[in-house]
Amino acid sequence: MTHQTHAYHMVNPSPWPLTGALSALLMTSGLTMWFHFNSNILLTLGLMTNSLTMYQWWRDVVRESTFQGHHTIIVQTGLRYGMILFIMSEVFFFAGFFWAFYHSSLAPTPSLGGYWPPAGINPLNPMEVPLLNTLVLLASGVSITWTHHSLMEGNRKHSLQALLITIFLGIYFTLLQASEYLEAPFTISDSIYGSTFFVATGFHGLHVMIGTTFLTICLLRQLKFHFTSKHHFGFEAAAWYWHFVDVVWLFLYISIYWWGS
Amino acid sequence: MLRSLPVLRQIAQRTISTASRRHFENKVPEKQKLFQEDNGIPVHLKGGVGDALLYRATMILTVGGTAYAIYQLAMASFPKKQA
Repeated sequence: MTHQTHAYHMVNPSPWPLTGALSALLMTSGLTMWFHFNSNILLTLGLMTNSLTMYQWWRDVVRESTFQGHHTIIVQTGLRYGMILFIMSEVFFFAGFFWAFYHSSLAPTPSLGGYWPPAGINPLNPMEVPLLNTLVLLASGVSITWTHHSLMEGNRKHSLQALLITIFLGIYFTLLQASEYLEAPFTISDSIYGSTFFVATGFHGLHVMIGTTFLTICLLRQLKFHFTSKHHFGFEAAAWYWHFVDVVWLFLYISIYWWGS
Repeated sequence: MLRSLPVLRQIAQRTISTASRRHFENKVPEKQKLFQEDNGIPVHLKGGVGDALLYRATMILTVGGTAYAIYQLAMASFPKKQA
């Protein structure tokens, strides 16, 4: 029976990177089959295997950390770097869409009428639902900070309450935004305005949903006593992601909703 | 003498205080025992039979799906001539 004599984590061989890569193949070829050949079997398979991979991979990370104790300080530091680098990559992802928006809106072409918002576009009033959305996300930033402090103080009841509030606010945002999408007087095909609006806010909405899911997982783990007052990096990662999502919205609100209206 | 590092122990044993008055009991120690058993089983199968079933289902769907995707690619690459 051998034991390691270092503080790093040598992971057991795992099938999930392979299944993850194959699920990516199935999703992309599935999209092609859906777009061009009216078949959604591959896409469905792709989405299913992607979900299965994510569930099992992250389940294993919880096992390795909470149940097997592999997440020493040095391992946790690596995870922190990793999460920060991932969020930075997402920042650059959104930067592209903001670039596209500013490129088109700072110098509107003659075909748009030479002004922004373009001719024929009635933008949404930034002081109505978009402002509410801003307040909802800002409030969720407060509640998630309350969650973190409750966790650190060992207050189980408060941490669960505050996390639940954060999740509800996230869902509320998503529902409000969905209703805005349905009610909007313009569509994605309404010139470059529609494209930049729906692609930027659409990807943001997707990230809100991902963040809400991550927070829900944290809620389940907290209910199951996985987190301690000193060690709860899964929650911290979710909180960082959530703050990132909030900040992206603030930029969206200022640029597209307010300045762009 | 090499000191065995705290690989198999949680960094901070301080779990959150007082179990909720609802149905949630702290089952983490049981899980720790199950997953630290020295039986050579990799972590993705160590939880029991359910793990193996889910693993097999995932593999069948991904590998099968890949074969199907390659088949569709072959079909799409050689369009049938219209009579």
